[in-house]
Amino acid sequence: MSLLSLADVRKDYLAGDVTVQALKGINLTVEKGKFISFVGPSGSGKTTLLNLVGCLDKPTEGTVTVAGVEVNRMDRKTSAKFRGDNIGFIFQNFNLIPVLTVYENVEYPLIMVQDIALKARKQKIDDMLDRVGMADQRNKYPSQLSGGQKQRVAIARALVMDPKLVLADEPTANLDHDTAYKVIGLMHQMKKEFNTSFIFATHDQKIVGEAEIIYTMEDGLITKVQANGTAGGGIK
Amino acid sequence: MKNIIKISWRNLLRYTRRTLLTSSLIAVGVALVIIFGGIGASFKDEVIGTITNSNLGDIQIHKKGYVGSMDNLPLDIAIPEQGLNKIKSLLDANPEVKAYSERIRFGAMISNFAQTTSMRVTAVYPEKESITCPALTERIKEGNSDPKTFVQPGSIVIPANIAAGMNLKIGDDAVLVATNKDGSVNGVTFKISGISENILGPQGKDGYIHIDDAVSLLRIENGEITEIAVKLNDFDKLKKVYSRLKGELAQIPGKDSGKPAFEVHSWEELSPFSSIVKIVTLLILVVRLVLVSIVLISILNVMMMSVYERIGEIGTIASIGTPPSKILALFLTEGLLLGFFSALAGIIFGTGLLMIVAAAKLNFVFGMMKLSLSPQIPTAEIILSLIIVVVISALASLQPALKASKMEPVEALRHV
Ligand SMILES: Nc1ncnc2c1ncn2[C@@H]1O[C@H](COP(=O)(O)OP(=O)(O)OP(=O)(O)O)[C@@H](O)[C@H]1O
Ligand SMILES: [Mg+2]
Repeated sequence: MSLLSLADVRKDYLAGDVTVQALKGINLTVEKGKFISFVGPSGSGKTTLLNLVGCLDKPTEGTVTVAGVEVNRMDRKTSAKFRGDNIGFIFQNFNLIPVLTVYENVEYPLIMVQDIALKARKQKIDDMLDRVGMADQRNKYPSQLSGGQKQRVAIARALVMDPKLVLADEPTANLDHDTAYKVIGLMHQMKKEFNTSFIFATHDQKIVGEAEIIYTMEDGLITKVQANGTAGGGIK
Repeated sequence: MKNIIKISWRNLLRYTRRTLLTSSLIAVGVALVIIFGGIGASFKDEVIGTITNSNLGDIQIHKKGYVGSMDNLPLDIAIPEQGLNKIKSLLDANPEVKAYSERIRFGAMISNFAQTTSMRVTAVYPEKESITCPALTERIKEGNSDPKTFVQPGSIVIPANIAAGMNLKIGDDAVLVATNKDGSVNGVTFKISGISENILGPQGKDGYIHIDDAVSLLRIENGEITEIAVKLNDFDKLKKVYSRLKGELAQIPGKDSGKPAFEVHSWEELSPFSSIVKIVTLLILVVRLVLVSIVLISILNVMMMSVYERIGEIGTIASIGTPPSKILALFLTEGLLLGFFSALAGIIFGTGLLMIVAAAKLNFVFGMMKLSLSPQIPTAEIILSLIIVVVISALASLQPALKASKMEPVEALRHV
């Protein structure tokens, strides 16, 4: 069973009187434990696609199946639970909760989403902060961190829930070049350690090279699929 | 739950100035309710106490129709001896009744042998009257004010205005002239044994004599009286006792008509000051309503701003799987915490001010009543205002919190 499959997925947006066809028929299958990137010009539909895969939005037509579950028709409560159980999110703007410390940000999903008991929780968080190299910053607030550090915390927050799939829309867009590489490198390493699939969307041709499979999108369609031989080997 | 409170609390502290402003607004509102409620309640107690303890009693019983023509102090609408005995046995059997006092009230002329003026006379048994109206003898400023003997056969207590107007002093003689119910006039000489403050305002010319003197002055042969004043053990049970007495007395029919022979009135129905007490009650209610609207508007405003400012954050936590019910709980808790702690601050502030007022012992004269306000800590008012604030805070946060919990994560995220 594949982790993710999209069958003839279309998405229309109604902007005033005009209908924008953001996705025009996407067919796609993703296996477990892959590191995948979507590239393409602005407006090609990357974010739209990630939103559908992440059960944040519903397709106009077609079916999206994640971890064997057809997610098209879920209600709000069910899809929130489904996301909590299966999907991790990493955002372009990091989106940490400003009133919580690094530790508490990573703790948040274990309390508010998954309800993990204190002892197990503490162990998981300590372990995760270690892996992303943020253990010594655990009591800082997000405003006291650099962009790269924030994104590390965000990665920890996504992975602490043991998701089957992590989605990252432009995770490096707000980071400088070196930091971007490091963050992608960290994601790649996490993918290996947890055997979790990562899907990220980006403009940045340089960091795309880190992906195992690269999907190129143009105007709402996937126009090219590349398997990348150098994947994981080129981290600077 | 602990964590929801933690996050909500930190979010409140995040906008320190706004939180403090709202909080102090609510706190001032709560403090006002407590101060106003405390002073108002003490004012009410004082007024009621003054009226019931010095003159009226808590409840009065008359022959049917008496109160309707009370201004004339009619002697022909009287409680006959037989009826009196029935009423007495009812009152004696009622555990809520502390004491009662039989009275004969009539209009009379008082003369110092040179001048004559009119007055109202209440004839009583001094011991019974002093227990029923314990503040009465405190008003006797000159002469004998002993509760057991303040009127004796042959002696009279007159009000200060008559004493001054007619130049009467303790020990002087004065003649009371009265018309009895058959229309014959009689006069008896009394010695002035006490001079009292005017009891019911400046025009009140009320004097007291012993009931035995009234019997001979008015040539009453059959043991009639005109009024029974009743004092209760617990004033708060007034309504209950009142309706019980009313029911019991309704069982005693009149001789001819078969309708109830007697009527019962509570002090409120007999005193014009009861309307002032009602106004104070109403004012306290208005202040509470003001508190409700302050809380409603300020919490609603703050919570709407909080939700609006944090749309992106709501999008984030919704995306990562926070159930809508917890998002609702987060914002509800935030509003509730704000309301609760503001109310707490207001309670401390208000109670503090009230204690200062109590320590200062505000004295003032209201009409002819000398009132000394010593407000108690109004526990009921404090609990009530806490409940009001918490309930209204919850109501006011509900709409913004629902809005937050119903946001579509994609749209909320795009808002950043
Ligand atoms: N909520 C919306 N309402 C209307 N049109 C939308 C909406 N979201 C996206 N679109 C349109 O859908 C198309 C695809 O947008 P999408 O955001 O998926 O592109 P993208 O590949 O993520 O672009 P970028 O690289 O700039 O992030 C665009 O034409 C965009 O204008
Ligand atoms: Mg995009």
